[in-house]
Amino acid sequence: MIYADNAATTKVSDSVLGKMLPFLQEQYGNASSQYSLGVKAKRAVEQARQQVAVAIGAEPSEIVFTSGGSESNSWVIFSVSKGHVITSSIEHHSVLNSCHSLERKGIDVTYLPVDSKGRVSLNSIKEAIRSDTKLVSIILANNEIGTIQPIAEIGEYLRGRSILFHTDAVQAVGHIPVIVKELGVDFLTASSHKFNGAKGTGILYKRNGVSLPPLIFGGEQERGVRAGTENIAGIVAAGYAITESVTDMIPMAEKLSAFVRTTIRGIRAKIPNIIINGDENNRLPGMVNIVFDGVRGESLMHLLDLNGICVSTSSACSSEKDEPSHVLTALGLNEQQAKSAIRISYGRHNNMDEVETIVATIYNAYNKILATRNQTKGELEIT
Amino acid sequence: MESKVCYVCGKENLSKDEIGLIKKLLDKNTKRFYCIDCLAEYLEVDTEFLLEKVEEFKMQGCTLF
Repeated sequence: MIYADNAATTKVSDSVLGKMLPFLQEQYGNASSQYSLGVKAKRAVEQARQQVAVAIGAEPSEIVFTSGGSESNSWVIFSVSKGHVITSSIEHHSVLNSCHSLERKGIDVTYLPVDSKGRVSLNSIKEAIRSDTKLVSIILANNEIGTIQPIAEIGEYLRGRSILFHTDAVQAVGHIPVIVKELGVDFLTASSHKFNGAKGTGILYKRNGVSLPPLIFGGEQERGVRAGTENIAGIVAAGYAITESVTDMIPMAEKLSAFVRTTIRGIRAKIPNIIINGDENNRLPGMVNIVFDGVRGESLMHLLDLNGICVSTSSACSSEKDEPSHVLTALGLNEQQAKSAIRISYGRHNNMDEVETIVATIYNAYNKILATRNQTKGELEIT
Repeated sequence: MESKVCYVCGKENLSKDEIGLIKKLLDKNTKRFYCIDCLAEYLEVDTEFLLEKVEEFKMQGCTLF
């Protein structure tokens, strides 16, 4: 199998797995327990909190562990109880659907448009701000096209204004440098399984001094702001995975960028009319979103799957629906083009041989699909 | 219901699963249909593998099957 859908999820690295496994069978204590087994679990959580904080330039006290990126995003959005929220039209559904929920409660939400490369402009934010604007939430790097937003620029503008700033950095953390103080954000969302940690562990950076009412009530875990028995193994994995990702981030980014360049060059040489979505000069290093004119992305994805290759037609969270991607239509693509796209997202476990196999298999699959368009050989249809 | 014929071997009355598979894997608006054995040959995979895919698509709630 060739896995090239690392924006959907990633494989847990061997070293990370080795660190987390003891917390499932040997050190399985509850971090709230007072005896030694529980204290060891608590210590492991605090070590992971320290590792995450170091990786994103935060204080450990600013890191809260959650169940995933969707919880972290929803938590921040749902903290708004009145006024106005600004977000973009290409956010992840966990942000968009939370905003839709706010609207049903009477809170105004502005969904900013993006340009053809998927960029939100600072000017559009300036124009959208109202006297009652409470929160701006802009995705750091888009999950379908990889375009990176000018978060630091927006953070600089919002600094000193009484508007909270959140960024969904799920696709960015562990892949490109993300330092919260440089970005000027009050909240930042990350998810461990996107950087070779385990599923079920999210991260919310909450700047010290900013208040955030609990979303989940219960015990006093996470200093009383997020109740629920800690997922110790997952949290331990998050700590080690983020450290590992940050340590070799630059060479890894160079490797993944080379994979993407080879992919685009290889496919374009055989299928010249492809369209590359997103910002070619400012996007995540391992991600490329390609439109194959006249061929459904879903069909291409399935034929690649038959050949043991995993890619995505759009965001994995919406791929069961037969609707065009809201991200691709926001770029200005028509419905047919949006349905003709696939996303390839490389990760640390891929190699150049796999990239070349993907290029060759795409070309083969593309031709097989196109060939069925030619109704020849006296085909008989009986009605 | 419209009856479909295999483009390669001429097998008549292709099943709903066979028609669904073509639409799912190749083109929803295809004019060319294959029986499952000929489709497997065209796609260079085993018939059993395609049958497994049919079950996967049904499990996902695909309305083509």
